[in-house]
Amino acid sequence: MNTDQHRAEARAQLAASASWSIRLDDVSVTYPNGTKALRNVSLDIAAGEMVSVVGLSGSGKSTLIRTINGLVPATSGTVAVGPHTVTGLRGRQLRRLRGHVGMIFQGFNLADRTSVYRNVLVGRFASTPTYRNLLGLTTATDRELALRSLQSVGMLDKVWTRAAQLSGGQKQRVAIARALTQQPSVMLADEPVASLDPPTAHAVMNDLRRVNTETGLTVLVNIHLMDLARTYTTRMIGLRDGELVYDGSAADATEADFERIYGRPIQPDDRLDR
Amino acid sequence: MTATRTDAKPPSGTDWQLPPRPSTRLRTALIIGAVAAFTIATCLPAIGGVQLDFGALVSHWDNGSGLLLQLFQPDFAFLPRTVQPMLETLQMALVGAVAAALLSVPLTLWAAAPTNPNGLSRRILRAIVNVIRAVPDLVYATILVAMVGVGALPGLLTLFLFDLGIIVKLVSEAIDSADHPYIEAGKAAGGTQTQINRVTVLPQVWPLFANQWLYTLELNVRISAILGIVGAGGIGRLLDERRAFYAYDDVSVIVLEILVVVVLIEVASNLLRRRLV
Repeated sequence: MNTDQHRAEARAQLAASASWSIRLDDVSVTYPNGTKALRNVSLDIAAGEMVSVVGLSGSGKSTLIRTINGLVPATSGTVAVGPHTVTGLRGRQLRRLRGHVGMIFQGFNLADRTSVYRNVLVGRFASTPTYRNLLGLTTATDRELALRSLQSVGMLDKVWTRAAQLSGGQKQRVAIARALTQQPSVMLADEPVASLDPPTAHAVMNDLRRVNTETGLTVLVNIHLMDLARTYTTRMIGLRDGELVYDGSAADATEADFERIYGRPIQPDDRLDR
Repeated sequence: MTATRTDAKPPSGTDWQLPPRPSTRLRTALIIGAVAAFTIATCLPAIGGVQLDFGALVSHWDNGSGLLLQLFQPDFAFLPRTVQPMLETLQMALVGAVAAALLSVPLTLWAAAPTNPNGLSRRILRAIVNVIRAVPDLVYATILVAMVGVGALPGLLTLFLFDLGIIVKLVSEAIDSADHPYIEAGKAAGGTQTQINRVTVLPQVWPLFANQWLYTLELNVRISAILGIVGAGGIGRLLDERRAFYAYDDVSVIVLEILVVVVLIEVASNLLRRRLV
């Protein structure tokens, strides 16, 4: 019994949904306190691409990624994901769209005091009526999807463990499983490895890459380290002060390109492996 | 070498390049003003000053010492008669606490900002809870006795309202002051606030609830001993009755019994709390 093979099979079975493109048209975001987080960003990401968004903290990466699932509404311009226009969506329609967009976070954002299983079931919210959640009912499909996505990230043996008892890398894997349980068409990752040590960071980035290659999912990942962007993604988008300053191949990006994105000379801290 | 050393050591009387020290004159003036205001407010009978005659302690000592003597001679033959009222008190305390605990869950989640993004409903609920909390428990008991009659029911209702105010206020504030990153994850997955609250917030804040529930149970036993004095059932009624008959040996038995029960409940809830959290 090869566990790697099991994981690959689980991933293949999860790939039920179609992959979606992402399109930003002249998008600006101004926060209520007056901060301009994004300035006239236009962007076209084809279905199935693996794209990194690179920039220093405060450059607008997190805002950019959150406009895609409407966690941050665009102040002007339009955001479109697959067949949907995100801008202007509210209530039930917005929640249904979010159900198609998986997201993982820098801080993992798990409910620490509850089990891995219940955390992963959060991914079924959009396709579960509220009364069923209130009564604590789950369908056979929900259970199946939750277990399969846990298997696909190799965390099936921790299914009944409290999330608090996991290590950082394990938590991020559970968070990936939670997103996969949504059967998403797009996967967003906001600094997924910034709280992890280098070996774990590589493992999690590998998991994300496998999600992209094996299920064909569009993956958009925020990252501030240049070597990770080069190694794991095919296309790179550079943000500086909310403006798009680079859009091109990740592997071919030169030191000069990174210096333009960062707005300062390259430092040792800009790489994970020194 | 020696030269640099003397340079590094600041010679006394050096002019430090410090920014000007902020003046404390205003603070001093405020403190003096507060002391003066307190003195005036407590000494002028015309604006509600209190008149204390400490001499009464001495001049009435004969009464006091006789009473203390009686209190120190508890008549334990009275104990069997206290069992029934004490059980009633415990029942009031428990039922009031459980009913308040059940209703406190949805109300608390509605009163906290992370679990209820709607500012209007949150503010209305908080205002109502603040009003409930502002009314003293004895006032509730007195009014409710007049409304629904003497017995355990007004006591139970009093405890229920009192507990609800405490739990909702304290737990919702604890929820407000904590970080809830998993709520963003629930939103990103397309969940409604209700789904997020039920599946992730509730297990996360459950220890906060458990703590307050046990605390209100403790409080209830203590308070319900008093509530009987205004006619709201339980051991307090017996206490008031024996006191009216000047049967201080019986009163002393009741007071000792309340003490023992309160300590027992406190020990039990401490044990439970340690296991839960």
